[in-house]
Amino acid sequence: MHDVDDPLRELLPRLRRFAVSLTRDPSSADDLVQSSLEKALSSWSGKRPEGDLRAWLFSILYRQFLDAHRRSRRYSRMLELFTGNSHDPHTPSAERTIVAQTTLQAFESLSAEQRALLLAVSVEGLSYKEVALMLDVPIGTVMSRLSRARQALRLLSEGEITTPALRILK
Amino acid sequence: MITLPPSERDLNAYVDGQLNEADRATMDTYLAANPALLQRLQGWQQDAHSLRAGLSGELHRMPNPQLDPSAIRRRIAQQRTRRIATAAALLVAVSLGGAGGWQARNMSIGHANPPMADAVQAYRLFAGNAEMASDWSATKTRDLQGWLDTHFARANRLPDLASAGFKPVSGRLTTTEQGPAAMVVYRDEQGRALSFYIRPPGELNKLLPRGSRRDGDLQADYWSGGGYNYAVVGPADDPAAQAARRAF
Repeated sequence: MHDVDDPLRELLPRLRRFAVSLTRDPSSADDLVQSSLEKALSSWSGKRPEGDLRAWLFSILYRQFLDAHRRSRRYSRMLELFTGNSHDPHTPSAERTIVAQTTLQAFESLSAEQRALLLAVSVEGLSYKEVALMLDVPIGTVMSRLSRARQALRLLSEGEITTPALRILK
Repeated sequence: MITLPPSERDLNAYVDGQLNEADRATMDTYLAANPALLQRLQGWQQDAHSLRAGLSGELHRMPNPQLDPSAIRRRIAQQRTRRIATAAALLVAVSLGGAGGWQARNMSIGHANPPMADAVQAYRLFAGNAEMASDWSATKTRDLQGWLDTHFARANRLPDLASAGFKPVSGRLTTTEQGPAAMVVYRDEQGRALSFYIRPPGELNKLLPRGSRRDGDLQADYWSGGGYNYAVVGPADDPAAQAARRAF
């Protein structure tokens, strides 16, 4: 019954890396991996589509991340309503607009979807079709967003563009 | 086969090495004539390479035992148990609430309406009063049973309490929520009064098991039979009245 556990264990480092690249924080990344695995294992019977286990788990993790993100955004909007000051740790600050020096730093300042896209394609080597399923968009959209993400990463790495200008690019 | 100029998909596939050999050769030829595009794609390739290298360290973090599949399964099982326990507790709480409420309803109804309370009231109102107006009296007609039978078909026979010293002295018709009622008052030589009370069981047809209850200084014995409810009411602690009760 648990013959899937070993492949799962082997994928754990990759799942954790994907989660870190999304949350930018190791401990909340592990929470995200945990909730994703709970979701995956409780719906194990019959729900898993044929295909790559890794792509399936990446999709679950990405959805979980979006859900959590939406929840926390709602929460911070509510906080804002009550306290009157906004608090988003990832809003570009004065420091963040300083040109990114390396590819990794450039990667850090991309949007969550662009990070997910580049990690899935360039680092993990998932197929475009699998990525389309993960992001829940048509494959043509994946291609144009991928080009845009690559271009943004390129420009940021070269220090030719600052974060606010990137917002216009999106 | 790709077509030129290359689509967005072809450009990305070139960067990711997902083109077949023929398409790749076509792209190389095309890019040779478009150095700006070639430079852009090479930049993308270089970034991908840097990303792979830069993020490879993330694969070697300390293992987190909480993420092991067996730990995850344990937690899922615990959550399931907890949910079942919560559901069970909820069910028990709702059932207890419902049953308790029903019980309380029965108790409050029972409390508000002790059996044959009207018989006791009638006794208090009429039997203590020797001057009470009577719808029947021994001087008018001897046949008390006949008088009763004209008002209540198939009623139980009137008890004969002569052996205990009680004789019927008056009868009175009255109305109650449950329908017409009749009370026959018996007295002994010392003036003690016992009443025999009869009425229909009412809309709910609430027949009574044989029983007895005390209401202040009075005792009511009640029962059902022949489609009517009956009560005999008298002083509770009086030996003569107790003797009369034993007579029927």
